[in-house]
Amino acid sequence: MWRKIVRTGRVAEPAPERPDGEVPEQAAELAGSVQIRHVDAGSCNGCEVEIASAFGPVYDAERYGARLVASPRHADALMVTGPVTRNMEMALRRTHDAVSEPRLVIALGDCARDCGVFAGAYGVAGAVRDVVDVDVEVPGCPPRPEAIVAALRGLTGR
Amino acid sequence: MNLVGTLYVTALAGCAVAALAALTAPARARLPLTGWCTAVAGAVGAAAGVAALSGGVSAGVSAGVSPGGPAGGSGPSWSAWLPDLLPLAGVRLAIDPLGGVFVAVTGLVTVCAAIYGIGYCAHGLDGRLFQAVLPLFVAALLLVPAAASVSTFLLTWELMAVTSLLLVLAEHRRRAEVGRAGLWYAVMTHLGLVAILAGLVAFAAGAAGESFAELRAAELPPGAATVVFLATAAGFASKAGIVPLHVWLPRAHPEAPSHVSALMSAAMVNLGAYGIIRVGLDLLGGGPAWWWLLVLAAGALSALYGILQAAVTSDLKRLLGYSTTENLGLVLVGVGAAGFFAVSDLPVPAALALAAALLHVVNHAAFKTVLFLSAGSVLHATGTRDLDALGGLRTRLPYTTAVFAVGALCASALPPGNAFVSEWLLLQSLIHALPGAGVAGAVTMPLAVGVIALSAGLAVATFVKAFGVGFLARPRSAEAEAARESPPPMLAAMTFAAVGCVVLALAPTLVVPALGRAVGVVFPGRDVVSGELTLRLAGVSGMISPLLIAAALVIAVVAVLGLVRLTAARRARRAARLWDCGAGPMSARMEYTATSFAEPLQRVFDDVLAPESDVDVTPMKESAYLVERVRFQARVPDRIEHRLYDPLIAAAAAVGNRARALATGSVHRYLGYGFWALTGALLVLVALW
Repeated sequence: MWRKIVRTGRVAEPAPERPDGEVPEQAAELAGSVQIRHVDAGSCNGCEVEIASAFGPVYDAERYGARLVASPRHADALMVTGPVTRNMEMALRRTHDAVSEPRLVIALGDCARDCGVFAGAYGVAGAVRDVVDVDVEVPGCPPRPEAIVAALRGLTGR
Repeated sequence: MNLVGTLYVTALAGCAVAALAALTAPARARLPLTGWCTAVAGAVGAAAGVAALSGGVSAGVSAGVSPGGPAGGSGPSWSAWLPDLLPLAGVRLAIDPLGGVFVAVTGLVTVCAAIYGIGYCAHGLDGRLFQAVLPLFVAALLLVPAAASVSTFLLTWELMAVTSLLLVLAEHRRRAEVGRAGLWYAVMTHLGLVAILAGLVAFAAGAAGESFAELRAAELPPGAATVVFLATAAGFASKAGIVPLHVWLPRAHPEAPSHVSALMSAAMVNLGAYGIIRVGLDLLGGGPAWWWLLVLAAGALSALYGILQAAVTSDLKRLLGYSTTENLGLVLVGVGAAGFFAVSDLPVPAALALAAALLHVVNHAAFKTVLFLSAGSVLHATGTRDLDALGGLRTRLPYTTAVFAVGALCASALPPGNAFVSEWLLLQSLIHALPGAGVAGAVTMPLAVGVIALSAGLAVATFVKAFGVGFLARPRSAEAEAARESPPPMLAAMTFAAVGCVVLALAPTLVVPALGRAVGVVFPGRDVVSGELTLRLAGVSGMISPLLIAAALVIAVVAVLGLVRLTAARRARRAARLWDCGAGPMSARMEYTATSFAEPLQRVFDDVLAPESDVDVTPMKESAYLVERVRFQARVPDRIEHRLYDPLIAAAAAVGNRARALATGSVHRYLGYGFWALTGALLVLVALW
């Protein structure tokens, strides 16, 4: 294992400059450490693949203070992907309710922002902002990992 | 007759009266009459044991002449020789402080079990035979530690085995497993009896007579002493449920009625440890070091194997049965360590280790009574022992839950439980012996410390499982949903046992000095501990104050609760829905079951436990890709039973089948067999003598 570590070396991209812009008031209270619960409200899994690479060794979002957790009870923020389907509408509301305050909601990807190609489909209840209050939106179908990391750095301020 | 004798004989008479009452009383009065008689007999027996422990001096003789007399300055508190009661040898009884410990423990367990039985037996167990055998079993349990000659000991031992077998079989009409468990128990206990019989008879043949005083004075050649020790230790280990002779225990304990399980697990198996102490340390007077290392190794193996099996089983009473194997294993670790230290010329740790072993016997009896009685209450209320089908009993059986919680805390060897104190004493003796124990000690003692620590850790997991899965959360079956609290006699007995646990946990100083006197029978002339509030070890540095630990715990808990309340009151609070993964509503299927709780442990100890799993997929007729049914089965069999006993049983069955050819039905043949066997026996006798 040691040989593997030495041979592979460092694969993480060099950290880009911190993006400009103010940290939202609620996020400032979190003091640079944001615990995130991911909710798939009806996504096609494209966004999930990009989230996985954003938290993988190359983009390594954790070095900026963002971390994925296993339960909304542990989380400061929800990261919602996909249009909100009818089956997931109540679950999303309850998950949002289960996060302690102050809480943030990130709508990730075009579907989460405005239902994308699924707009008007019979099983779709609406965009994320129609169900819960959204603080940050990340455009893209799917958004690139750099965009996800930049949005998260906007919350952690690091 | 002195005080001990009077009390002891009264207790035996009480048992006889109870048995008579069970046989003659009308059906309505039978249960309370027998129960209360047995309970009073138990209380008087316990008083006799305590009186023997508190240092009775004079030796009273009731009938005939008492030969031998007090040996080594710590002779029996009471002894009796009744030469006419039995042909040839007569009956010889004596209670010294060592026997007194076991008499007292048996008496107190009996009080709880007998009162409990009044409520528990009301449905189907109120028959004459069962009610009459229970007091006889108690009498046998009281007689074994008081027997003072080989014949008396063997006779009482067999009486104990037969009466307990009848009690185990009480419910054989309701469940087929009871019969199988009884068969295992009968075979194992009688094989044990044969081993003890052979050992003690060989011992008596080498000594001047068969009374224990004469055995004590005998000088056996080392080879003969080793044979005697190994044979008796094997027999006693099978009674104590020591691996690999434990197979009867996790079968018989669950299938017996619960108060009988309590008596067997808290009083009867102790007598296995008593036998090893009495024969090995007292009568044989020590021996080579490897005897005791063997005992220690068997104890350590049992402790680990027992608690591992307990951790993965989901049958509540089977779990408690395996926990008995674990605790008797710990007792034998103490006994083995005591014998080893005594041989290695370390008197202080030897006395300490034996005191720790005896204290663990007392503590185990207390918490195991509580646990078996409350498990019986659960069984009474729900009709099932399967933890996976229980749950949610906290609101339905509040008293039982509280009592089980006390027992589970005590059994998990954490402060402020009582097992913590005895395991702490045991660890102290092992650690303090290290400097002078030689190479064998330097290798074994750290290993033994490790085994005790690991078994304590697994015990915590086991009892968290038993309590959390069995009693908390929501009911997983209709039976658990409809559970109703048990009748008052059962609750009273459980509460009494739980109070005993709490007293032992908070004030072991009441008991340990008396146990020091029992240790004095084997290792005379030393005090083990001193102190009223704090246990101070004599001879080595070390002290513990369970009362102060408990007080500190209470203060810490109150302080934390107060602090939380204080800080939480300042902030705005929001009532939120219980987190149910967003789907809801919560159902019992979302809970941990006993199997799922134990799964990580099972995975860690995969190589030891060798669990079996079986996936059975039935495809549809139309296509192999469409599945009609998937059946999954997982089981953790007792590996020792699987590997050791199954081949033995198969071999015995094969020999039996082959031997059929010998029995053709011809009388002439059978007469020929008899003739040749007799001639052969005579030839052997001629050749040997």
